[in-house]
Amino acid sequence: MTTHGGFEPVFCTIVPPHVLDKLAQHEDPALAGPARETLQRDAYERTHRRLTTVLGAPTLAAPTETDKPRRTIYDAKHKQDLPGKKVRAEGSDPGKDATVNRAYAGLGATFELYLNAFNRHSIDGEGLPLNASVHYDVNYDNAFWNGEQMVFGDGDGELFLDFTIPVDVIGHELTHGVTQYTANLTYFGQSGALNESISDVFGSLIKQYSLGQTAAEADWLIGAGLLAPRVTGVALRSMKAPGTAYDDDALGKDPQPATMDGFIKTGRDNGGVHLNSGIPNHAFYLVADALGGHAWEKAGQIWYDVLTGGELKKDALFTDFATLTVAAAKTRFGDGGEELQAVQKAWEQVGVPTS
Amino acid sequence: MRIQVRRTGGFGGIERRGEVDTSARPDAHEWHALAERVVADGRRTPKSGVPDGFHYEITVDGKTVYTADPSLTEEQRTLIQRVLKEGA
Repeated sequence: MTTHGGFEPVFCTIVPPHVLDKLAQHEDPALAGPARETLQRDAYERTHRRLTTVLGAPTLAAPTETDKPRRTIYDAKHKQDLPGKKVRAEGSDPGKDATVNRAYAGLGATFELYLNAFNRHSIDGEGLPLNASVHYDVNYDNAFWNGEQMVFGDGDGELFLDFTIPVDVIGHELTHGVTQYTANLTYFGQSGALNESISDVFGSLIKQYSLGQTAAEADWLIGAGLLAPRVTGVALRSMKAPGTAYDDDALGKDPQPATMDGFIKTGRDNGGVHLNSGIPNHAFYLVADALGGHAWEKAGQIWYDVLTGGELKKDALFTDFATLTVAAAKTRFGDGGEELQAVQKAWEQVGVPTS
Repeated sequence: MRIQVRRTGGFGGIERRGEVDTSARPDAHEWHALAERVVADGRRTPKSGVPDGFHYEITVDGKTVYTADPSLTEEQRTLIQRVLKEGA
């Protein structure tokens, strides 16, 4: 028995899954590698299709494009059943639970950036209700987007604190939803690292927007305030200086590369999606830093145009994405402008070709 | 019996490992029963999971099965928690 679920038999591929299963276990990595990758993609596709079906219904039932978020926070009460008990609805007053209030505010901050900076109405662009569950599981050191909602753990208190503390973490998770509804980048390898990077980029922009910061004032950290006091580190990732966020006895050292010279080839972490995201993260920082001012106005706009423009393929490589940002900079801000120059220079600096 | 758990991915992308050798343990039979069920029911290829979800590799005497959040079985969850806690 496996956890494939009931939809497995109707899924069509050219190579039957059992052959891929067999190949994936082959001694020769040349055979096993691609088979494993295909199986992973297939599983992703199945999940996505199922989710699209599930997610389609509420949008059809209530096609509202309002300028107000529709937030609901649930308390998982330290269990794994989602979403859990409804504890705060849109418009209601803050309660006693700071975690619930932070999640509610973070969802609002995310909604505000997308609406005010990019005229996007919620995650799907059509006013999708925003749902989040807090207090997931016990001592849970993580936060994730499950295709329909955000899920936040409380952290173990030793290494990680509450995952609702950094607003960029909340923005990061919701942006996975935006990506799912737009370019839908496959969560594996380089396209997966781009998916991760986009969540970091917009997560950081949400923090900067809510604080009214310029690129020079921003900390460009992801997860500042999340590490427990005993941990030696400032955050989980740094877009300004990838690889420098933490260096700790228990956590190890921040492994992120800033340029292609340090690109990590691995099968773990969906092909290093949280590792190699340092490269496009740093490119974004370089563009924002070169242009100055509010990062969401120019650098953020270029990245948003690429994410939502319809030309970014699901299996895009770094170079595909970089090339599209060059085109977007030209279209949005004109040929020969400082924006175009900043984009070209940034990708060159991190070692990603733009043609 | 040697039970190893490797957790990768997650929001932080930080790897965690644990290993338990049950040979000298008084509760060995309990571990064996749990580990055998997890291996028998597990999938032999990595699972894609969800964005930022944890991925797990569970290896029992050289045989590896894979799983990912948020769709762990109760048995997988129990074994993973115990190995990461007691075998860190």
